[in-house]
Parts: sequence; C-alpha cells; structure tokens
Amino acid sequence: MIHNKETIPQRPAPKGTIGPIAWLRGNLFNGPVNSIFTLLGLYVLYLLVVPTVQWAFIDADWVGDSREDCSRVGACWVFVNARFSQFMYGLYPSEEYWRANIVFAMFAGIIAWMVIPRLPFKRWMTLFALLIFPVIAYVLLHGGYFDLPRVSTHRWGGLMLTLLLASVGMIGALPIGIVLALGRRSNMPIVKTFCVIFIEFWRGVPLITILFMASVMLPLFLPSELSVDRLIRALIGLTLFQSAYMAEVIRGGLQAIPKGQDEAAAALGMTYWKRMGLIVMPQALKMMIPGIVNTFISLFKDTTLVMIIGLFDLLGIVQAALSDSRWLGFSIEGYVFAAFVFWIFCFSMSRYSQYLERKLNTGHKH
Amino acid sequence: MTQAATNNSETSTSDTSTSDLMVEMRNVNKWYGDFHVLRDIYLEVKRGERIVVCGPSGSGKSTLIRCINHLEEHQKGEIVVGGIPLTQDVKRIEQIRRSVGMVFQHFNLFPHLSVLENCCIAPMWVQKKPRKEAEALAMEYLERVRIAEQATKYPGQLSGGQQQRVAIARSLCMHPDVMLFDEPTSALDPEMIKEVLDVMVELAEEGMTMICVTHEMGFAKQVADRVIFMDQGQIIEENAPEPFFNNPQSERTQLFLSQILGH
Repeated sequence: MIHNKETIPQRPAPKGTIGPIAWLRGNLFNGPVNSIFTLLGLYVLYLLVVPTVQWAFIDADWVGDSREDCSRVGACWVFVNARFSQFMYGLYPSEEYWRANIVFAMFAGIIAWMVIPRLPFKRWMTLFALLIFPVIAYVLLHGGYFDLPRVSTHRWGGLMLTLLLASVGMIGALPIGIVLALGRRSNMPIVKTFCVIFIEFWRGVPLITILFMASVMLPLFLPSELSVDRLIRALIGLTLFQSAYMAEVIRGGLQAIPKGQDEAAAALGMTYWKRMGLIVMPQALKMMIPGIVNTFISLFKDTTLVMIIGLFDLLGIVQAALSDSRWLGFSIEGYVFAAFVFWIFCFSMSRYSQYLERKLNTGHKH
Repeated sequence: MTQAATNNSETSTSDTSTSDLMVEMRNVNKWYGDFHVLRDIYLEVKRGERIVVCGPSGSGKSTLIRCINHLEEHQKGEIVVGGIPLTQDVKRIEQIRRSVGMVFQHFNLFPHLSVLENCCIAPMWVQKKPRKEAEALAMEYLERVRIAEQATKYPGQLSGGQQQRVAIARSLCMHPDVMLFDEPTSALDPEMIKEVLDVMVELAEEGMTMICVTHEMGFAKQVADRVIFMDQGQIIEENAPEPFFNNPQSERTQLFLSQILGH
C-alpha cells in the first residue's frame, strides 16, 4: 500500500499559534489563574519601578558642588559628581591623574581589541597585554622612572585599584588553576598530593583571613628588610585563593571530556602536553566558560574585601567618602553608584561569556 | 592451559625472519584488578597481513588490540611492534604510537576541530610538518575516503559513517605501518556500515597491515588472511577464513558462529 505518491508541500502553521500575541496567550494568559498572576506581577512591578525611576532620575539633582544644591526629594548625584575623581583614582595625586588615565585608556583599548572579532593580530595583542602592558602600567602608575614622581601604592585606590586587583587576579588565577587541575588528575603521587593539599587549603580558608594574614601576620614573621608591599601581598593572596577555585572548575571541565578524546590523541602519538594543550584543554575550557566567568565575577566582587587591610578599592573609597562630615546622609547614593559600577563590569563579563559560548559552539560532543 | 588454536601451515610463522613481523605478542597477560582479561596471548602479525579478531563481548578482543599501542598496559609478557619492544618508557610508547594507527568504535574525532584540522593536527604537531604540506596530505586521504567535500565542516555536522571515514583518514595521515580497528562499524546505523567497510576493503587491498576487531563476517571472509576467535581472554582458535567459517574446530567457536551467522 502506498500512502502518499506526491511529496506533501510545506504549509504554513495554523493562525494564532505563532507570533507575539500567541506567545502572550500561551505563556502569560493561559487560563484564569495565570492571568491573575500576570496582572498581579505587573502591578508589583509598577509599584517598584515608578518610585525608583522617580527617585533616581526625575526628582534627582545632578549638578552643583555642595549639599545645598540638593533638594533632598530625589537622589543627590551631586555627591557622586563631586567625589567622582576620588572614586576613580583613590588618593592618587590629582596632578598625576593623566598617568592613570593613560593606563585606563590602554586597558580599555586592549579589552575592546580582544572583544571585537573583526580586529586582526589577536595573538600579538594578547602577548602585548600580558607582557608589555603590565610593565607600562607599573612604570606609569608607580613612577620613579623617567622623571615621573613616585606614587606609593597606598595612595592607589578607587576603580583603578579594583580593576588592578581583578585583572591581576584573573590573569594569574587561570593558568595556576589549569596547572593545579592537571596536577590533581596526575598519576604522579607527589604532584597529586601537593595539588590536593594546595587546593583544599586555599579553598578552606575565608578570603578575609588570607588577606588579614598577608597584611598583619606575615610582617611579624618576616624580617623587616624582606617586607613586601601591602598591595603585592593582597594580590598574591587573592590570586592563590581564586586559583584554587579555578582549579576545581577546570577539573570539572576536564572530567566532562570523554576518555576517548585523550585516547585518540594518544593513539596519534601526541605527548601528554600536546594532548592536553591541543585536544583536551580547548574542549574543557570551552565547556567551562560559564564556570570560569562565574569565578571571575566572584573574584571581581571579592576585591572589595581588601578594604579590611586598609586598601581603598571602589567600595572602600565610597564608604570613606560617606563619613565626610560635609556629605553625611548620602549613603544610598554612594552605595547605588558603587553597585552600579560593579554591576556594569560583571554584567559585561556575563554577556561576553554568552557570546563566546555561542561562537565556540561547534556542534554536539562525542 | 590448553590452547586449542589450530595454525595451518600457511600462517605458521615459526620460520619467518623477525624483520617481517609487524606485531609480536608473546605470553601476554593482563588483569583489571583481580579479573584476568588476557591470558597467555601469543600473536604474530606479518607485514601486510590482515587479521580479524572476533568473539563474544567481554572476551578481551578490544583489550588485546589496545595493548598493542599501550592504551592499555599489560602486566606480563612481551609485545614488540615494528621491532621495538613495548616498555614503560614514554618516549618509546610515543614512537610506537606514531607508527600504529587506530580507529575507534565511537570515532573519537576532535569535535572542536574541523575535519581538515582533525587530519592535520598530528602531522603538524607530532611530525612537525608545515601546515601547507599537512593540509595537502590530509586532502589526499580525505579524497581517498571520499569525504573531501566535507573538509571544512565540524565532526558534529557529519553522519556516523562519514565521521568514521574521517577517523580512518586521520590515522592514515600519520603513514602508519599497521592499522588497528576497534569495532569500527558497531556504533553505525546499518545503512552506513557499507561505506566504512568499502574504505577498509580498499585499504586492505592496498596492502596495509590490519588488525581488526569486528563482527562483520562478510568483511572477514573477503579480506582476512587469518581469523582469530577469542573467548574469556584467550585465543581459542586461529585459522584462514575459509576453514574457520566452514570447519570450526572448537566447540565454542562453533557455538559463536552459529549464533552470529544463524539468523
């Protein structure tokens, strides 16, 4: 028996099953209960959004230079405005802001170059960002070379310090994490034991404790001529702490790669490092993008903890400004501003990771 | 241990010079924990010989060929591949693996690399060939397995049969002296088995040394010089295909053949 002699031509879907109206009907108004919840939800949203917009934008005061310029009905962004450069540079001397600005601009340029797919020479840019840029940034920010006056690290602060801590932490934590993850999966007992102990130690201790130990305890034990800059100590503590988390994220990714991948690479005569570097790691890292970015974001926010050892990151400097007697009572504005800046950076990282995931997706795994 | 193997005069290798032997396994034993997976394996494969290994699942056939390129480690006995004794030495293992190609049941193509890159990666990184040369070589072999037009695609975009042919090309790009096939058609839909077997038959006819774990008895009859039957970790019977299929000696072989040919 033959059912269909001719190929059945493609027909459009029935009316009212596709399109935005159908979506609304299917997802928000399918039945009386859901319709009530939808309307209720819209009402709650209205209650929250309208006063917020009113406070933050419509009734807000933007220009001025003292608290008298604020009407006190809406937000007083004058406070943020007046303190803006401090929020960006901390206690960095204002006549040297141009040095920080150059570093900021280069940093933004590098990020843009890496993120925009059309721009060429990504590999050279990566090398520049990892090898040359840190030297330039150090020379410019720290000074003491080429007639630049020295600006000691305890005057660094604000967003500049936050970005410095976060980028050094990320760039350091990823490779250390990779090595620790591989070490933990190694067959060599000494390497494995070392990695397990290292990871479990750093993961088991709160970051605050590590920062505190680095800043208060370490100088007690080390001879005074060996004293390391407080910022460097914080950087090392932060990097090692995050690399332990990173190692576990990457180990999870490595475990998700089928054994056959490593076997196929081995059967082609590849050495361990080539198998890892060319076959296993690229796949694992790709799968681990959400986890890695998650760690990066939490690292970014964890940088605020350096406050307890007397470094003024963005949040720290905002808090310090709040206790200024001329600006008492503007803590909401200060915290909202800090939260907004943090959110911008974290949200950008999150969006970029989603873009990367889509770009690197080459079909199903085997 | 009773070895019911019945070598016929044609395949007995006692009078062959060692240089002609591609693979020698002498008294090879392997355990997974307490489980004795390979028991007193003796196997010699001459250059250009085509061997088919069959047997019920769990009989150790995959383990046997995986020992040849040290994807599995044997605990006792001696394995010599192309004149090089297989030891723990990593450099030596890698040297042997460069001359031994392997095709897996589940293809194991690298999903993050295109078909062409899958074929180029080992010539470029292991044999240090320049990219141009590696790509030309890869295209030549992709042509031979009739899949050159898919070179820029990713493995996930290909059918199982196409993926397995790419996997064969990937191995051939290393110019192996011997090819190991580990149930290459077991994971394929029936209509794709033939396209892979055709490639393997061509390879056999070109004189490639092949050791093939497979249940494709038609393929065994067509190209094999010897068929080896394994059960419970031992080689039970070993013979040329014609006598092997028509006149199996051991009871277990007869039972196995009746089960896979009988329906």
